[in-house]
Amino acid sequence: MSVWNYVVTAHKPTNVTHSCVGNFTSPQELNLIIAKCTRIEIHLLTPHGLQPMLDVPIYGRIATLELFRPHGEPQDFLFIATERYKFCVLQWDAETSELITRAMGDVSDRIGRPTDNGQIGIIDPDCRLIGLHLYDGLFKVIPFDNKGQLKEAFNIRLEELQVLDIKFLYGCAKPTIVVLYQDNKDARHVKTYEVALKDKDFVEGPWAQNNLDNGAGLLIPVPMPLGGVIIIGEETIVYCSATAFKAIPIRPSIIRAYGRVDVDGSRYLLSDNAGLLHLLVITHERERVTGLKIEHLGETSVASTISYLDNAVVYVGSSYGDSQLIKLNLQPDAKGSYVEVLERYVNLGPIVDFCVVDLERQGQGQVVTCSGAYKDGSLRVVRNGIGINEQASVELQGIKGLWSLRSSTNDPYDTFLVVSFISETRILAMNMDDELEETEIEGFYAQAQTLFCHNAMHDQLVQVTANSVRLVSSTSRDLLDQWNAPSGFSVNVATANASQVLLATGGGHLVYIEIGNGKLVEAKHIQLEYEISCLDINPIGENSNYSSLAAVGMWTDISVRIFSLPSLELLTKENLGGEIIPRSVLLCTFEGVSYLLCALGDGHLFNFLLNTSTGELSNRKKVSLGTQPITLRTFSSKDTTHVFAASDRPTVIYSSNKKLLYSNVNLKEVSHICPFNSAAFPDSLAIAKEGELSIGAIDDIQKLHIRTIPLGEHARRICHQEQSRTFAVCSLKNCQTSTEETEMHFVRLLDDQSFEFISTYPLDTYEYGCSIISCSFSDDNNVYYCVGTAYVLPEENEPSKGRILVFLVEDGKLQLIAEKETKGAVYSLNAFNGKLLAAINQKIQLYKWMLRDDGSRELQSECGHHGHILALYVQTRGDFIIVGDLMKSISLLLYKHEEGAIEELARDYNANWMTAVEILDDDIYLGAENNFNLFTVRKNSDAATDEERGRLEVVGEYHLGEFVNRFRHGSLVMRLPDSEAGHIPTVIFGTVNGVIGIVASLPHDQYVFLEKLQSNLVKVIKGVGGLSHEQWRSFNNEKKTVDARNFLDGDLIESFLDLSRSRMEEISKAMGVSVEELCKRVEELTRLH
Amino acid sequence: MWKAVKDREAGFLLPSSFATRIRSHRVASLDLSNHKEIVSPHNGAINSLQVDLTEARYLLSGSSDGSAAVYDIQHATDYERGLIAKHKSLFVVDKQHNHGHRYAISTAIWYPVDTGLFITGSFDHYIKVWDTNTTQVVMDFKMPGKVYRTAMSSIATTHMLIAAGSTDVQVRLCDIASGAFTHTLSGHRDGVMSLEWSTSSEWILVTGGCDGAIRFWDIRRAGCFRVLDQSRSQLGRRPPLAESTSKKGSVTGQSSSVKSMVSQRRIPLGNEMKQLRAHRKSQNLTRGPVVQRLHPGLSSSHNRATAHYGAVTGLRATGDGMYLLSSGSDSRLRLWDVDSGCNTLVNFEAMRLQPTKALQLAVTQDSSLVFVPCLATVKAYDVRSGMTFRTFRGHYELVNCCCLSSQDQELYTGSNDRQILVWSPASPVIAEVEEDGKGGWDSVADQDNWSD
Repeated sequence: MSVWNYVVTAHKPTNVTHSCVGNFTSPQELNLIIAKCTRIEIHLLTPHGLQPMLDVPIYGRIATLELFRPHGEPQDFLFIATERYKFCVLQWDAETSELITRAMGDVSDRIGRPTDNGQIGIIDPDCRLIGLHLYDGLFKVIPFDNKGQLKEAFNIRLEELQVLDIKFLYGCAKPTIVVLYQDNKDARHVKTYEVALKDKDFVEGPWAQNNLDNGAGLLIPVPMPLGGVIIIGEETIVYCSATAFKAIPIRPSIIRAYGRVDVDGSRYLLSDNAGLLHLLVITHERERVTGLKIEHLGETSVASTISYLDNAVVYVGSSYGDSQLIKLNLQPDAKGSYVEVLERYVNLGPIVDFCVVDLERQGQGQVVTCSGAYKDGSLRVVRNGIGINEQASVELQGIKGLWSLRSSTNDPYDTFLVVSFISETRILAMNMDDELEETEIEGFYAQAQTLFCHNAMHDQLVQVTANSVRLVSSTSRDLLDQWNAPSGFSVNVATANASQVLLATGGGHLVYIEIGNGKLVEAKHIQLEYEISCLDINPIGENSNYSSLAAVGMWTDISVRIFSLPSLELLTKENLGGEIIPRSVLLCTFEGVSYLLCALGDGHLFNFLLNTSTGELSNRKKVSLGTQPITLRTFSSKDTTHVFAASDRPTVIYSSNKKLLYSNVNLKEVSHICPFNSAAFPDSLAIAKEGELSIGAIDDIQKLHIRTIPLGEHARRICHQEQSRTFAVCSLKNCQTSTEETEMHFVRLLDDQSFEFISTYPLDTYEYGCSIISCSFSDDNNVYYCVGTAYVLPEENEPSKGRILVFLVEDGKLQLIAEKETKGAVYSLNAFNGKLLAAINQKIQLYKWMLRDDGSRELQSECGHHGHILALYVQTRGDFIIVGDLMKSISLLLYKHEEGAIEELARDYNANWMTAVEILDDDIYLGAENNFNLFTVRKNSDAATDEERGRLEVVGEYHLGEFVNRFRHGSLVMRLPDSEAGHIPTVIFGTVNGVIGIVASLPHDQYVFLEKLQSNLVKVIKGVGGLSHEQWRSFNNEKKTVDARNFLDGDLIESFLDLSRSRMEEISKAMGVSVEELCKRVEELTRLH
Repeated sequence: MWKAVKDREAGFLLPSSFATRIRSHRVASLDLSNHKEIVSPHNGAINSLQVDLTEARYLLSGSSDGSAAVYDIQHATDYERGLIAKHKSLFVVDKQHNHGHRYAISTAIWYPVDTGLFITGSFDHYIKVWDTNTTQVVMDFKMPGKVYRTAMSSIATTHMLIAAGSTDVQVRLCDIASGAFTHTLSGHRDGVMSLEWSTSSEWILVTGGCDGAIRFWDIRRAGCFRVLDQSRSQLGRRPPLAESTSKKGSVTGQSSSVKSMVSQRRIPLGNEMKQLRAHRKSQNLTRGPVVQRLHPGLSSSHNRATAHYGAVTGLRATGDGMYLLSSGSDSRLRLWDVDSGCNTLVNFEAMRLQPTKALQLAVTQDSSLVFVPCLATVKAYDVRSGMTFRTFRGHYELVNCCCLSSQDQELYTGSNDRQILVWSPASPVIAEVEEDGKGGWDSVADQDNWSD
């Protein structure tokens, strides 16, 4: 039963909806604050760029985000209002680097209809009041008292019903708003009102302007000394104030985002829906406006928000493409553009469709999304883990160790690659042609296995073999000095850094050797009670050549010990428990925090916080990375140190927000790795795999790896075909001709490796691709692409004609095999019992694939089912069909083979406006609806009465806060058969905000446990701005609001791992479960995504 | 519609405006349904229709023959020629029923919380509360006269009161919880034909009487707190800036400036001054504690104000709670601003209304259209402009009631011709029959001839 579901975000929202700039974190610091629908990010402006300071979830969809500064405050406050009528005022607490809530409240009303054009929240420039337009016909005012505190809110009737924008005017004695509205006859006007706080009413304002541009949609208030307002239309821009009226024509465009450049408000950046950036200048003589000028600057992503930061650097937040940090140059470049893109921030939104594929056939799903819109449309390949792009490889069997060496201490690049085998050591080097070639280092002993080697100070190399430690000059390559193991003992394990060597011989002897110029000096020797299994002296202190700590893993008592160097005094001993010996230890530092990592022979990894001065270990945590022994090795990528854990499931360990994260790598078994940074392969890794040595570059270190394939057009449907190794995409391209804008629609075929267009089938004029699948039919071995289309004629409200096109991929070309006209838009297609099931407007229609007399094939309709308003989303399982209707929730249909008919079995009678549906199992169906909710319904086949059997029972409800466009079964992670998470079925969803999330169906006992954990977490983790988690997750639509049930908030539960130890303990106490156990269970869940 | 779906998917169109847009498109395309029929079991005029508020699945009708019936409007009982869905009544309670009404049922309403109960009111002076599942009367209330209308608040959480208007001058509140009358609201000088609970406060009841008055009651307090006056409009409600500031100087001596302003605006009324001042006062009334202080005085001073000449035959609050629509035997439809109690002076185009019967009006969910029974037709008016949007012709005799299912955007109308007609959004494709191979229908044969 999939009733108990766990919802978690795998990829956070990236759609930037709001941004603002101000002195939020301190009076001297300039901050950029970005809202990504349900999250806010606070960045600090530094000379090197934007530095992230905080990224927190908000329990609400952010409707407005404004910075303001109450009287007498040295720095700005942040005002946030959410779509569900909550607001809060936040202040930065510099001491704890946290947000504190200054005020919060609810601004919902019993009367009034929620506005259609989006909520408006504005703050008077003189900070006298906050104005909110949330319901048609009402303007809510939250006044400030003279101490800057918020007073009780009240409503003022606004006669203008179709309000498009409201802004406060600058420099008015009384707070004055300017309202842009549309009247009954669709004409647009602006009007001003003074807010009379005492009377709680409006007073007609100083001026009004009638009959503006029909496309006028945006108001820009102009600060003093000019005052007034700029009205942005589709064909004109107007400056308007009590005394002046200036207008200029513009090229027809829709401008939705602006950013003010100067404090005096004489220049503005405007971005239109083609992503063109313009500069609007108000020319003025002193305080008298003389005219407007507009200048084209260049092209950016289609902006939803523009924030001018400083020094001509501008943040362009986008909903339909990647957000950008751009610089406006004084001089145009060769293409005439003043815009220089400094940085891009990946945005997956809007994810209109996606498919889950396993391109590398490793058993791990990848998501390929249709992302972006307009010109910024793209495909994104999203994969969990880190990609290694193999650049070269050689076959080599039996590698036992791998190290890279530089030819001199100061050489930026590695030259040699030392490969150790069971009875020999071979050295590879880059030759002049950038090829790896076997070479020799004379001073090295090549007839034995190398246990360790390293670059030492003074242009020296050190090699440790079972019998000796050899110091070799890296310039002359001659042996300089040698330390021999005492007779009867051989070196078992060894480690070294630039100035030290630590090795262990049989009998528990631990030998510490210091490297001098041309000399090896045995500095200390102790004997321990047991054999030593692993060692590390990676320098983590200030001196990068010298370590004052040594970590030692022991046989027999299964412990890890910290010794001080050079004295080899025991500082700490930590028993690991269990019977598996530590196989690799590593001292390392992430983000300034020192850790000891200790990997066991069974694929488990311990990590401890390490006190570098006392050697104390604390905060022990254990995770399972694989099943085989792990070898740990540090490497750098982009100037940051990470750890590679080589095993049967290679993992990169890194840290983000001072929390250790484990990201798997797209490789199968890896036995050894070492960083190998050569001129030909910069920032690469040498990797020893089964029978192979390869060199590869590593992608950006992050949990999800995203590859962007820009299309330059808006992809709307995607589907993968295993057999032809292709993707098919329905896309549309906006074409700007001299007179008007037209759309062209295509079915495109892409290679699934190169992602290049290999074939295109243009659709007819007005014909849209609505659905696409890859399927085969009974009695036919070919696999086809089926595309459903609609003819969207301008005069028709609802398409009355469409087509189903059946394509075969032959020689990399789309061959049209059959087409079938339909009486409406084909909203959905499904392969169904060797037939094709189409949703066409109100109807579900089943087609069979018939062989005609002449040998050609055609689709022939078999049966259908009426009774939907619009059957938008259809999923099938066996003979069952579930239909997600435009506005009538989910219904369950059954195909009856004998009768050749489709009948309705049951339906959900709630009025849910569906946006996606999926079948979780035979009885439980998952739906997403228009008000950002998820719900599950259950088939009641065992119910007593017909009435009950005909009703799908709602069993789960949850407010996701995201608009889901698609559900697909699948998983982003490799499923390990031994882990608990391996058996949990998951569904992936994609949303408009670029979220990729997981719905996992948990076993009941686990659900109950986590529900308890969640309720405890709610008590400990308080929402930003005092917003309530319970209210946020409650199912909410126009008719009802009910508490969430049978869904768990995975994001909240997984934030347990970010808590401080003391708060973890608090929860552990309330739960009656140890912190370790809780961590383990939550970490297990994080493996779901 | 595909375009809207496409735009919503990409985030160009807000989901909420998507829904609004589709709904208004559908309402705009309402027409006599070509695929849905309600089989009326009634032998008399249909006086009342209501779709249940929880699932929008069951339609309740009340008829002059003393019967009430319930239909499942989501699930057809059978199909005619495979396509036209017939919705027969699930059950009928009529005079044959042990506890049935003896005379015409004038009103039939659902219990707002669930479909387990419904309430009928009849000219036999009784209000009966029925258990839907057993079709038995669980409670009845004897009223002092013929019952015209009953109403329950759909937002009430703390009371279960049926407000009832009858030929008697008093409005009574019947409590389902106790089975007794809890309130008698006195003020009307004639019977009360129409009743409506406020959609924003569970305590506010609006009643429209045969005396032409529309009264607002706060059932927690004595007396009515507002009487609507058709001659009081909101023109000049917000004085221009200059005057308002000058007014601020002298709170009492505002007469001259206001007067001049009013005359500029040419309000077609005799005593503008009084109107304006009264209006300002009443505005304050709705806000805060001031209300209580002025309460008793106000209601008496306005006792004679009328909303219509003749009887108020129908009342309907818009879904957003901001406006009230009233119909009167003067063949007028008026739109009132609930907050200020002003007549908005929206001029609804010419209509003729039944003068002597309570009418049931319907308003769309977005409060943009109102459906009014106009003799044998139903007219849809744009609420803001008063323009006729559509005229629905289909009934053969006078139409008494209309009911809009906001969930399905279907309009149900009941008339003296004993029919309940279904008006549904146009779906051209439904008439089409694909070559399903099922044959049997005339249209299939027709189509096959020229489709190949």
